[in-house]
Amino acid sequence: MTIGEAVARRVRPKRRSAVDLKASSNLLGLLMKYLGLVVLFPIAVALWYGDPVWPFLATGGITSGLGLALERATAGAAPRVGVREGFLVVSATLLLTGAFASLPYLFVGGDQLSYPIDAYLEGMSAATTTGASVVTDFDELSRSLAMWRQFTQWLGGMGIIILAVAVLPRLRVGGRQMMESELPGPEVAQLPERIRQTARLLWGLYVGLTIVLVLALASLGWLGVDEEMTEYEAVAHAFTTVPTGGFSTRVNSIEAFSPAAQWIIALFMLLAGANFVLLYRGIVRRRPRVFARDEEFKLYLAIVVVASIVLTIQLWGYGIATGEEAIRAGVFQAISIITTTGYATTDFALWPVLSLMTLFALMFVGGSAGSTTGSIKVVRHLLVGKILRRELDQTVSPEVVMPIRLNRTPVDERTLRAIAAFILLYVGFWVVGASVIAIDSAIGDVPLGALDTLAVSATALGNGGPGFGITGPMASFAPLGDVSKVTMILLMWVGRLEIIPVVVLLTRHYWRL
Amino acid sequence: MKVFLIGAGQVGFAIVEALHHDHEVTVLDTETSRLAALAERYDVATFEGDGTSRRDLANAGVRDANLVIACTSRDEVNLVAGMFARREAKNATSVIRTSNVEYVELWRAGQLDVDFVVSSELETAHAISRIIGVPAARQTDVFAEGQVQIVEFDVQEGASHDVVGVPLRDATFPHDSKVAAIIRGDEMLLPGGDDIIRTGDRIVIIGSPQSAQAWSALLAPDEGTVRDVVIYGAGRVGGAIARVLLEQGISVRLIEVSHERARQVAEALPSTRVYHATGVDPDFLERERIGRAHAAIFAMRDDAKNLYAASLAKVHGVKFTIGVAHDAVSVEAFEHAGIDVSVNPRGVTAEEIIRFAHDPRTKQVALLEGNRYEVIDVTLRDTSEYIGKKFKEMPVRGALIGAVVRDGSALFPHADDVLEAGDRVIVFTEATDAPRVVSAL
Repeated sequence: MTIGEAVARRVRPKRRSAVDLKASSNLLGLLMKYLGLVVLFPIAVALWYGDPVWPFLATGGITSGLGLALERATAGAAPRVGVREGFLVVSATLLLTGAFASLPYLFVGGDQLSYPIDAYLEGMSAATTTGASVVTDFDELSRSLAMWRQFTQWLGGMGIIILAVAVLPRLRVGGRQMMESELPGPEVAQLPERIRQTARLLWGLYVGLTIVLVLALASLGWLGVDEEMTEYEAVAHAFTTVPTGGFSTRVNSIEAFSPAAQWIIALFMLLAGANFVLLYRGIVRRRPRVFARDEEFKLYLAIVVVASIVLTIQLWGYGIATGEEAIRAGVFQAISIITTTGYATTDFALWPVLSLMTLFALMFVGGSAGSTTGSIKVVRHLLVGKILRRELDQTVSPEVVMPIRLNRTPVDERTLRAIAAFILLYVGFWVVGASVIAIDSAIGDVPLGALDTLAVSATALGNGGPGFGITGPMASFAPLGDVSKVTMILLMWVGRLEIIPVVVLLTRHYWRL
Repeated sequence: MKVFLIGAGQVGFAIVEALHHDHEVTVLDTETSRLAALAERYDVATFEGDGTSRRDLANAGVRDANLVIACTSRDEVNLVAGMFARREAKNATSVIRTSNVEYVELWRAGQLDVDFVVSSELETAHAISRIIGVPAARQTDVFAEGQVQIVEFDVQEGASHDVVGVPLRDATFPHDSKVAAIIRGDEMLLPGGDDIIRTGDRIVIIGSPQSAQAWSALLAPDEGTVRDVVIYGAGRVGGAIARVLLEQGISVRLIEVSHERARQVAEALPSTRVYHATGVDPDFLERERIGRAHAAIFAMRDDAKNLYAASLAKVHGVKFTIGVAHDAVSVEAFEHAGIDVSVNPRGVTAEEIIRFAHDPRTKQVALLEGNRYEVIDVTLRDTSEYIGKKFKEMPVRGALIGAVVRDGSALFPHADDVLEAGDRVIVFTEATDAPRVVSAL
């Protein structure tokens, strides 16, 4: 390059963007157009219970209409999207899904929900399957609006993109990377060749698990075991158990239901925290041996068992509960927090500090890769453990070459680096989030304790749900300041997509060639 | 027999050397200079041509061959040549050399259209694993599916006086074994009861695997069994050796200088420790306690590096070193430098291929002492004059029957045993006498 060329380069007025915004917008429009159609379900619910239908009609109309307009405006765009566009589409889709979920609250949310930031927090909490809520008075919500909360969480569980890959032919090409961005967990286990099949398998199993849970819960009502568990509640709670979401129609969460219902829900949270591909092979294909061979699954179960025992001992020791009640509370809460569901069978905000610290630690575990859970995920902990062990071995013998294996297959070094980067970013976002919330709470005089502040940031980033103290499972996030709520929204967004797809959007390299 | 050979490299030379006396050998190669060198030394027909050209093969007369051997250094050439030879010479036995273990596996699965596949890497690995099984041995060979071992030992200071310095008649041998030969200087002796094994001799033992180990313990009481091995070089040869040794439950550490290769091997062999190192860094040798390994194998591509690394390993305390000498000339240099055993991959490959050139009754042949002696595994003809004779009555004619395989199991004959029709016998003989011995049986 001559000096002249270098200068010319430097003064060139405008660089072309490396991202095909037109194609991205076009795809986004297409997704919104179809997303609007799902309001058919809440409309049916509203008709059944005699609630007004217009909020849902308007929500669907606005979403589909905007989508259609966006698609028309960008007509002629390239039909395929590349890797760069994929990150943008996935990130934007989640933000828009949250907005879509919050529209009815704006219309009929009443005092609790119609404030836009509250509505958007509630919507994002659903779309990201977090389960953090600002609702305190559930009687004020209509049946159909309460079901809308549950239903939007269910949609977010397996993900809009994966649903689109399963259904829309256009995403057959280029959908893989978007799907991998949306599917929780690092890309350690190669998905089977055809993504469309995988997407269908995942959604099929997801729907199947939901139906089984609805039937299991409803039968408790039919058999008279649990008077509270009506068909409505069965559907509503199946909708938020399988995506490990955690929204409930009751202020006291799962405490409202019988021990039998609590045990069933605990089991399904446990299942939903496992890798869906593994569940498919083990249960649908009837090869139960795959569970015994999967390192992540074994560690996941071990963590659940140990955490349950530790919590049970604490509860029993403190005299908070005894006998079956202590075991049930210990097991249920351990699974609920590990799988980032966020249900509660008892107000754990009232527990002593030791138990709170235990729950707090469990917030960072997460379920398996390929599940509907949030947080760090067991496989990353497993691999980081292996990386650390290798590091120690290599301190003694620097020359030794030790590939890291997962289920006997060597894991690519790039994947390992990505995992290390993820965990660093995760901790970074958590700390920054907690700091912002702490500052905002100090300014706004919100009575949030030290552990509570750290927990709010962790639970939002990990898509967990409730926090401690005033944000406990039987309370709500309503008392927090607006800045804290916006921070939570961002943390939920980043956390659901496992940080990296969102953070790359902030790099210069992403936008420029 | 008419033997058609494709490839006049080192393996080709070794094969020609072993076969040119008794067989009509035709050699095809692309390089005139190599063919000229071959024709100068041996009485063989040579053709310049390409083994992958069907026309060249036909012109060179592959059609008349009974045995086609493709032994160039390139797998693809050998495969194609073997395939065309199969088309041209319908009744010939085809043998190809490969350096890829995958082809051996394919052949075993019946997926390759050739009769035999011989892999230098596997042969080398097996040769080394036999040496490791009997650490005092200079060379070993197995017969009758491993039931009979032929082992060559150096008799050194410190050998047990149960066998050394006493007439063989009075010596106490390990059970099921026989001294086939005593080599003293350039002279070989088929021993009788009055002969004595002396320090500095080299002896050949035929016996069961257990007896071979017992001999090893008698002749070199200091060398224990090998359980921990370090292999330098994780290339194809080193990798194959590592696999074979791992199968025997020996713990293996590998040293590889290429990072990429080290990673691949570490991924393929989870139970081995792989170092990305040159192996000649004293700090590394010290830190990893390489000197404490029971044995070290040098399987890098460069003979000179193997020699240097082995010398350094010796300095650091490795007692037993095995060098892979890719060049036949290096074998002597290795031995001179004090490497305990040297293995020449081309030599072992040639040896394996030559087995196919013998009488169809012959199952296996081993060459000892630079092809001067042969061990032959041959089935007795029904009309043989030896049937029904007791061993003590048999004439000594420059050959010795070391073992008999009857109904699939090996017997180690005593003076009063008799041979039966259909017995397989394992005979030790001078190479020049081999055809005579075979026809007599």
